[in-house]
Amino acid sequence: MFEGIWTGFQVAFSAQGLLFVFIGAIVGTLIGMIPGLGPITAIAVMIPITYGMDPAMALLLMAGVYYGAAYGGAASSILLNAPGESMSVPTTFDGYPMAKQGKAGKALAVAAIASFVGGTISVILLTFFAPALAKVAVSFGPPEYFALMLMGLTAVASFSDDSTIKSLISATVGLMLATIGIDSQTGTMRYTFGNPNLLEGIDFLVIALGLFALAEVCSLILERKEKAANMNKIGSLRLTKEDYREMAGPMGRQSVLGFLIGVLPGAGGTIASFLAYISEKKLAKKPEEFGKGSVRGLAAPEAANNGSSSGAFVPLLGLGIPGSGTTAVMLGALIVLGIQPGPLLMSDHPDVFWGVIASMYIGNIILLILNLPLIPLFAKILRVPRPLLTSLVIIFCLIGVYAISFSTFDLYLLVAFGILGFLMALVKFPPAPLLLAFILGGMMEQSLRQALTISNGSFSIFVESPIALSLLAVALLSFIVPILKNRKKKKYDVDNQMEI
Amino acid sequence: MLNTLNKKMSLFLMIVSIVYLIASFRLPAYTYVPVDADVVPISLGFILLTLSIALFFSKEEGTGQQKAIPKKEVMVILAVLGFVLLYIFLLEILGFIVATALFIFFCSWFLGYKKFITNVIVALAIPLFIYLLFSNFLKITLPEGMLPF
Repeated sequence: MFEGIWTGFQVAFSAQGLLFVFIGAIVGTLIGMIPGLGPITAIAVMIPITYGMDPAMALLLMAGVYYGAAYGGAASSILLNAPGESMSVPTTFDGYPMAKQGKAGKALAVAAIASFVGGTISVILLTFFAPALAKVAVSFGPPEYFALMLMGLTAVASFSDDSTIKSLISATVGLMLATIGIDSQTGTMRYTFGNPNLLEGIDFLVIALGLFALAEVCSLILERKEKAANMNKIGSLRLTKEDYREMAGPMGRQSVLGFLIGVLPGAGGTIASFLAYISEKKLAKKPEEFGKGSVRGLAAPEAANNGSSSGAFVPLLGLGIPGSGTTAVMLGALIVLGIQPGPLLMSDHPDVFWGVIASMYIGNIILLILNLPLIPLFAKILRVPRPLLTSLVIIFCLIGVYAISFSTFDLYLLVAFGILGFLMALVKFPPAPLLLAFILGGMMEQSLRQALTISNGSFSIFVESPIALSLLAVALLSFIVPILKNRKKKKYDVDNQMEI
Repeated sequence: MLNTLNKKMSLFLMIVSIVYLIASFRLPAYTYVPVDADVVPISLGFILLTLSIALFFSKEEGTGQQKAIPKKEVMVILAVLGFVLLYIFLLEILGFIVATALFIFFCSWFLGYKKFITNVIVALAIPLFIYLLFSNFLKITLPEGMLPF
């Protein structure tokens, strides 16, 4: 195992490797800072660039982008009070008050250090967890895989911030979209309407960029008249010894907690960061400081959401199954590079497996080194006028798709998904379950049909395997719990608001 | 009957699922497999139908803070959409650099960016930079169109 890590590090520490992490971290941070755009968009936009690159280098680039985008989101939360996505909402609670007090630099430094600690601790945990999970998963057959993916999907739907029914509908539509194209087992053409462009199905990049980035462009258009942030005074980046002492406890606890939440399919960054904020507030000696620029209140959610970001890699690397929208896009990126994550990855291609993990270590370190001195520069992107930013974002989405498919048909499709994404946002249908279901759809159908072929069409195969049965039971549970939860929701909402 | 948003959406989704179901029942059958290509689509169609019926009766109205978009803004979004469609149409005719430069300039100008000189510089520099990056560094050729390189 240590040999593997060592090889991974040797690749990562080459001059070229460091350069790519560096570029990735810069690009990721810039994209993440644009309000509304997060890791999903950042990774999706970068996929065409990695096309044809050496996989090891491409991985390093992606790791930089991934962590960079998460940090960029924190930066726009702190400087603008504009969280790019729901997981960085708690960052605004104490980050924005600090910025208003003229301590933006300090807030950004706290966020950078907390992200680094959260990321590093959880990557260390990942180093041990993922191989262990992969060992268990080697014995998984089609019924277990199907049950697992079904559980992941229902968990994402039921943990979503929005209505459970709407999330489930999103997921179902995602699965439906995945059935478009030539069926891999029988060769039947499904829903292609005689259009040759649809024979191979829809590229996931079209859906990811359409639903997430292009849909967000519409909000950028609506908010175009908002004045660009005027953050001339960032203030000192320096932290006192006392600050470090304050941060240490929350960072340590919340990194581990965040990691564990991240491992669970569906839970992910949002729950981790909210839970971190609420639990640290309960633990704090001076809870009244929370919400007024507390260092603890800022460090806790940042450590937790970075922890959960790496935690989400455990099912991805160990089982080959993404548990969140972001890791689903990451899976797509890995497949483009010719890497199929899963239990066999570690035994068949240990160099790649450890390469991924080593690049995550490096991504974290570079991000810390890079971001601290460059924070004032990065803050300038927030001053790019909205109209210009909007046209550039549109162009980047279009090129991202065109450079992969070279077909204008896909571009029209991209626009269609952009419109769909915007309408979904208007009526509060979450896009993440759709994307995840779309990516899992092909695999789910394949494993379902393989399982039924083994059993000659009998569904008893899912009940006979204890692992599959218990996974299906959990999937069923994740349906029932939200229904019960919704009944108490009104009361809970009131309590919760009082608490925060 | 269709007084709430949920009910309207539910009706729309029911229509979608029925159309999808009809299309999946019409998929050609293939005799030699235990699970044919239409099994999963048919099940999905029924799942969506069930869920949209559930949505019809669902009481959860989101948080109810539907922000209506002013008509003028809808027109702006539609205009940008028009720009994008025009860009896609012209991309392979005019070539990447020309089409992109025109798009960035006019779209930014339309959305209210009035600094003429800066706009021209950005609109020229960005497509050139992307083109060089893709053709020299990544070996991806973007449409050349009418320019000789």
